[in-house]
Amino acid sequence: MLTFSHLILGLFQALLLLAAAPLVSGLSRMVRAKLHTRHGPGLLQDYRDIAKLLTRQDLTPPNSGFAFRSMPAVMLTTVLVIATGIPMLTRFTPVAPIGDLITVIYLFALARFFFSLSGIDSGSSFSGIGGSRELTMGVLVEPVMLLSLFVAALLAGSTNLGAIGSAIADGHVRSATATVIAALSFAYAIYIELGKLPYDMAEAEQELQEGPLTEYSGPSLALIKWAMALKQTVVVAWFVGVFLPFGSAPEMTVFGLLFGLVAFAIKLVLIFAAVGVVENSVARVRFRLTPQHSWVGVGAASLAFVFYLVGL
Amino acid sequence: MNGFLIVNGLSGLLIVSSLLVTLAGNPANSARFYALQSFILVMLFVALAGATGSGELYLWSFTALLTKVILVPAIMYRAFRRLSDPAIGTGAVMPTALSIVGAAVALILCFVVASKVTLPAADAIKPALAVSLALFFIGLACIVAQRNILKQVFGYCLMENGSHLTLALLAPNAPELVEIGIATDAIFAVVVMAALGSRIFDTLHTLDARQLTSLKG
Repeated sequence: MLTFSHLILGLFQALLLLAAAPLVSGLSRMVRAKLHTRHGPGLLQDYRDIAKLLTRQDLTPPNSGFAFRSMPAVMLTTVLVIATGIPMLTRFTPVAPIGDLITVIYLFALARFFFSLSGIDSGSSFSGIGGSRELTMGVLVEPVMLLSLFVAALLAGSTNLGAIGSAIADGHVRSATATVIAALSFAYAIYIELGKLPYDMAEAEQELQEGPLTEYSGPSLALIKWAMALKQTVVVAWFVGVFLPFGSAPEMTVFGLLFGLVAFAIKLVLIFAAVGVVENSVARVRFRLTPQHSWVGVGAASLAFVFYLVGL
Repeated sequence: MNGFLIVNGLSGLLIVSSLLVTLAGNPANSARFYALQSFILVMLFVALAGATGSGELYLWSFTALLTKVILVPAIMYRAFRRLSDPAIGTGAVMPTALSIVGAAVALILCFVVASKVTLPAADAIKPALAVSLALFFIGLACIVAQRNILKQVFGYCLMENGSHLTLALLAPNAPELVEIGIATDAIFAVVVMAALGSRIFDTLHTLDARQLTSLKG
């Protein structure tokens, strides 16, 4: 049921995340600096970076076309659209048509598709290889994501993210073991999607893994950096909304929303702090070995599916 | 009815812990995970005793706590801790992901078999019965698809846990004597196998089952 207040709530939480995203990425940078025992940038450094880039000149390679120019806007808006549909402050999805797991997965795939397409479209061979690396990563992560979410959807009896979250929060899922395994494998997929070590490094735009960024400059680069920070936040919010919905508001009341906001902020900070610790205590894994790791995720998700089938 | 739900839920954890035992990096870690699995098994016995009202099962869970959670893992941990063969790696023949999928497939097949069982006692606990069968086959697979002879001992232990669970599920009122028979059997088997493993390592300096092709000493 989509009412006007739901729409407003969806827009509010999307804009809230958009405003908070550089803060979250600033937090990971701060955690990394602390773990390296160096001074490091301040918490607001990413706001300053984006503001500086927005005032610079936007240069495009002569051979680039439509996909290259539209990618920053497409990526940012796609992630914003996803953010309106994910249950964050509330148990239910604010904009129900978007808060469906299949829609969300495809919207993420759309953002990824444009990201790697822009790499190929820029005309630089280095960017092109970076783009294909990004797609390979997607092929490896998405099966884990799909399978674990499908298990959760089967257990809850709905593909709506809010319905899955409320079923888990109320303990209405049939199998606790299957839910926990599905949650763990989904968390693993989310971790790869975050673009952190040992699989990726979202900030390393000089390297192959963020190759599509090579040719961007000025406001476009600012938008992409902002979109990537937003994507990390939204992806974690997705996990929180589905598998850790505790503390969010079951009804739409002012007090409930405020409490939900506080609970959501605490969960977000805790998860990013934990991710920061993991990220800085591992070495980078060779890309050739990534499939072996991600297949373990597929195995765990299929085990969760079997647990659901057997009724454990 | 609720008690049987707990039994089924705990049996799911048995599958997870058996995979941890099988996939652990070295035998000492496997011993820790095996203690964890036995502890889950003991809790399952207690839950089952509460659900069926069987007094014997409480006694079973107590002896299982002594033998399987404390004694057998301690023996294996002490014996296996000092034996290491870097050349063998984890010793697994199959990739990790394939082992997990294999366990899932085994569980499905066992569930198909268990759903054919028409005993009135087995109605509420069919998932747990499927797990007990699957546990047996995971143990068997651990013996077959593992080159490290110490990890193969854990395969035997998993099979033994599986058959123990089957017995508890289908005959919760069996006398304590049966339990003692199973428990002592397992302890002596593990002691003998641990001694054999140590002797093999001392003589041949390898833990790889494929290297054991000649008689020595």
